[in-house]
Amino acid sequence: MSTQHATAVLGGRRILIGKPGLDGHDIGAKIIALTLRNAGAEVIYTGLRRSPQQIAQVAVDEGVDAVGLSILSGSHKELVADVIAQLRTLKAHDLKVFVGGTIPVEDRAHLHELGVSAVFTADMPLEQVVKTLAELLA
Amino acid sequence: MSAQPRAPLDRWALSRALTQLANADPATLARRPLREPPEHAARRIGITGAPGAGKSTLVGHLAALRASRGRLGVLAVDPSSPKSGGAILGDRVRMDELAGNEQLYIRSLGSRRTGDGLADNLPEMLDLMDEFGFDEVLLETVGVGQAEHAVRGQVDTVVLVLLPDSGDTVQAMKAGIMEMADIFVVHKSDLPGAPRMAADIRRIATMARHASGGWVPPILLSSATQPASIQALSEAIDQHLAWQAQQPQEQAAQRARYRLRRLIERRIAQFVAEREDSFFDAPLERQIAVALDACRSPENRAVV
Ligand SMILES: Nc1nc2c(ncn2[C@@H]2O[C@H](COP(=O)(O)OP(=O)(O)OP(=O)(O)O)[C@@H](O)[C@H]2O)c(=O)[nH]1
Ligand SMILES: [Mg+2]
Repeated sequence: MSTQHATAVLGGRRILIGKPGLDGHDIGAKIIALTLRNAGAEVIYTGLRRSPQQIAQVAVDEGVDAVGLSILSGSHKELVADVIAQLRTLKAHDLKVFVGGTIPVEDRAHLHELGVSAVFTADMPLEQVVKTLAELLA
Repeated sequence: MSAQPRAPLDRWALSRALTQLANADPATLARRPLREPPEHAARRIGITGAPGAGKSTLVGHLAALRASRGRLGVLAVDPSSPKSGGAILGDRVRMDELAGNEQLYIRSLGSRRTGDGLADNLPEMLDLMDEFGFDEVLLETVGVGQAEHAVRGQVDTVVLVLLPDSGDTVQAMKAGIMEMADIFVVHKSDLPGAPRMAADIRRIATMARHASGGWVPPILLSSATQPASIQALSEAIDQHLAWQAQQPQEQAAQRARYRLRRLIERRIAQFVAEREDSFFDAPLERQIAVALDACRSPENRAVV
């Protein structure tokens, strides 16, 4: 996929961007989606307010390499735990999970313990996000 | 149409197989054995029309209606960026209500190097859906002109989705797509202009179809807010499928032609993309000869 695109560090990768939970603000998710697209990824976008069960099923059906969860509602611990549990139920052990949104520093270690590979915050440069994901999915 | 007993859908296996096919290069595909005529072939319905016309919305509603009759697959193509090769695949945002249905499988596809509204290796993916026992596949094309031509050869029934904006008729006439559609649907009929648009299409479509005879494409109005309009569309699809089943089947040859042409086009496109600027200083005849030669043995391409 990527031979023609020198900058496409995520070329040929498929990434699901999901918004679990109730918050209805998805501009952050859309910016990440566009950034990943510009880095060569195929980004599957699910829309707002999807259940963890739906997100996990879509991840399997769409054959993605990674699932990004955008969460601004404050209930990231519960939602992330739920999505990861659902992914395990569907035997999607190899998928990387990353989280973005308003995640307090003190919660990050906990998210990593749950199985999250990376946590991105709004102040992080987008190149950094791409670089981290490219390494994660290499 | 009754579902025969068969293994439950292995979503993992299907998902992996589709990924593999989507990524297969022309040389790999060329080595695949030709497939035997399948014992079980899914009905194939193509949904095409301008960007934002409402294709995904209609596919979502149709899938909800039609998945109760059997195993239903959706392949939805969105455009890949020619610059990065990446894509935002957002068609399934419009297919919310469908989550959790065991009989239904939705796959989003980037068009990748394919510019005709379909996606790389789509014919092979459609065949794969047959192998996985689907009764029906809905194929949403990219919203580009010309998609109608490419999709025509891949499906049994082509539904052309139009906007209630009369500008569209001229576009449609120019591109000659009127001849391609089996069913016209003027969507967003809750907006002004829809009946007028439908009347215009009716007049033009009757002219376009005169020669071929047989099927007279219905012209329907639909709106996401009116379930009965989608029900009527679904019934029109059934009628066309039933009519189509009585016709001599010419699709196999048409599909074979498309497959060969696409494979060769892709090899050539790849070859051209990989050349240094100086390559194009050679006489054009020489360029063509080298390109065709490279196409013959893609692993062993001479750089000139
Ligand atoms: N007024 C009105 N708007 C509709 C209707 N159906 C869909 N829409 C809106 O039209 C827009 C495009 O709908 P989609 O279903 O995504 O259209 P599409 O043809 O799949 O678009 P692309 O895949 O991007 O080409 C969305 O904002 C829908 O909410 C309808 O019946 N009436
Ligand atoms: Mg769409």
